[in-house]
Amino acid sequence: MFSSLMLVSLLVLTLPIMSSIFNTHKNSTFPHHVKNTISYAFITSLIPTMMFIHSGQETIISNWHWMTMQTLKLSLSFKLDYFSMIFVPVALFVTWSIMEFSLWYMHSDPYITRFFKYLLTFLITMMILVTANNLFQLFIGWEGVGIMSFLLIGWWYGRTDANTAALQAILYNRIGDIGFIMAMAWFLFNTNTWDLQQIFMLDPNLTNLPLLGLLLAATGKSAQFGLHPWLPSAMEGPTPVSALLHSSTMVVAGVFLLIRFHPLMENNKTIQSLTLCLGAITTLFTAICALTQNDIKKIIAFSTSSQLGLMIVTIGINQPYLAFLHICTHAFFKAMLFMCSGSIIHSLNDEQDIRKMGGLFNAMPFTTTSLIIGSLALTGMPFLTGFYSKDLIIETANTSYTNAWALLMTLIATSLTAVYSTRIIFFALLGQPRFLPLTLINENNPFLINSIKRLLIGSIFAGFFISNNIYPTTVPEMTMPTYMKLTALAVTILGFTLALELSLMTHNLKLEHSTSVFKFSNLLGYYPTIMHRLPPLANLSMSQKSASLLLDSIWLENILPKSISQFQMKTSILISTQKGQIKLYFLSFLITLTLSMLLFNLHE
Amino acid sequence: MSLVHINIFLAFTVSLVGLLMYRSHLMSSLLCLEGMMLSLFVMATMTVLNTHFTLASMMPIILLVFAACEAALGLSLLVMVSNTYGVDHVQNLNLLQC
Repeated sequence: MFSSLMLVSLLVLTLPIMSSIFNTHKNSTFPHHVKNTISYAFITSLIPTMMFIHSGQETIISNWHWMTMQTLKLSLSFKLDYFSMIFVPVALFVTWSIMEFSLWYMHSDPYITRFFKYLLTFLITMMILVTANNLFQLFIGWEGVGIMSFLLIGWWYGRTDANTAALQAILYNRIGDIGFIMAMAWFLFNTNTWDLQQIFMLDPNLTNLPLLGLLLAATGKSAQFGLHPWLPSAMEGPTPVSALLHSSTMVVAGVFLLIRFHPLMENNKTIQSLTLCLGAITTLFTAICALTQNDIKKIIAFSTSSQLGLMIVTIGINQPYLAFLHICTHAFFKAMLFMCSGSIIHSLNDEQDIRKMGGLFNAMPFTTTSLIIGSLALTGMPFLTGFYSKDLIIETANTSYTNAWALLMTLIATSLTAVYSTRIIFFALLGQPRFLPLTLINENNPFLINSIKRLLIGSIFAGFFISNNIYPTTVPEMTMPTYMKLTALAVTILGFTLALELSLMTHNLKLEHSTSVFKFSNLLGYYPTIMHRLPPLANLSMSQKSASLLLDSIWLENILPKSISQFQMKTSILISTQKGQIKLYFLSFLITLTLSMLLFNLHE
Repeated sequence: MSLVHINIFLAFTVSLVGLLMYRSHLMSSLLCLEGMMLSLFVMATMTVLNTHFTLASMMPIILLVFAACEAALGLSLLVMVSNTYGVDHVQNLNLLQC
């Protein structure tokens, strides 16, 4: 029975889209419709989830046989297992709050109906991705979230930076899609199917190539190091877009893909090491970049990227269930952090630079509360939400037989998380105001308050709630030395104190000429500067040269004719000692010939 | 040796001496080269026809082809010299400039 309820819940989501296609009435209650639809879908999906938690029984719904290509059967099938059953209510809950928030945030936008339609389409494609049982359906969802991300980042299309950022997102995602398609092709060749059940049952031996492809796909979609610049640039979109796509749902699609393939990954040590190192590099690098940014949304975007790196590290130490738990808990407080920053931005009349904020502790108490609680949950304060997943991850990484360098990077990144969270709090909330005095700071709207309140309660209790209600999957590490158990807490407290001390000490000092470390961190490690200019220029000029110049001027002109003539001229100048007395030379021929004929009697 | 053979040998030798000893024009050297080729051709054809060595009757024709090529080369050199100096006097070729 819960299978049909789940299908109902997913179907309910598609109703507003269909209503707007048929009626095409753009009345002002459409956004409220959408918000209510999502809340109904959330409540409906809670029932199957609770039944699943009670019974532990997974379901696969295979509906409609689409086509058969020789030996490959493609059908519409939904996999309702541990991962999708828990993720769907979490995602719907977070989306419900974000929809309510964007009722307040995008209130004055003339195309608010279209905005909600885009957000809903995004949610549907994300649900398709999460509940897919075969790789084809997953790919449909994958591409769908990519397209909706493009449309939503470029929402204010009059702004050049927004268009560039949307294009950047598409390009980087496309590079990841190549890996995905390579994995799909390999699976089709070697296991004759795109169904997850058959792949896991067959358990192919040499899985290096498809897992590398899936790792590339995750690198592209989840903004790991190498394909990461699109995520901070994606902050050009409106804040609800950042909260939904680029913190809770879309960017976890890459991690989700790797989690789905955990039966294959747990047998392949090479890929696990690669994943671990990639995640460690990402989490440290983006945490370093977050330290000196001045845009509040960019700091939170880098924070997202760092947490994604942490999830990838968790997969690398062979703990997919912990990574999934971190996905679910991370969604709550990260969305809430984005919504608080949206509240601050709107109240300060679209000011996003933290150097121009300050003193909001007294002016916006509710936002302050939720920002601080969100930051504490992010850094893993004991018994808030983040603690249940993040602390477990650090503990497991400490006690597992893993790469020590990766572990060290992760620990440093954890302390840097505390540092930049302190920086946000210090600059945005504490001290004296640095904005203009006549701004109307108002956070009294019930939409804003209710949505943040829901996520606030989620940030505090969801970790406890979820981790006590799921069935045990892998055995956590039970015994470890005290210092190891307290490592995460110790580095976090170290980060907090260090950041607070430094901020208070240097608060009134003048900024001297930037050191090279500051410039490295502020310019994102020079990665976009180098990679967005040099390789495209090299590629395009090489292709232009080879297309237009290669055949004509090189092969037909230069290789044989001109090179021979050059060579001959140079060598003849080099080695000739003659003076041009040709007649004398010819005469010497004649004398030699005659002499030889006379002396040797050749004709006899 | 028969008279015909002596005749042709003499033609060849006269052309050879004319090739190696000439006064001022490069063109006369080239002409003597052609004379040498002609006498060789006649000699080869007559020998092949007299001894009925049919399989070797390709040889004079191929000789002719190669002689044509070398004549073309020689003439192009002549043209280059003539372009630079206006006449093809041999005493002009004393700079060995390229």
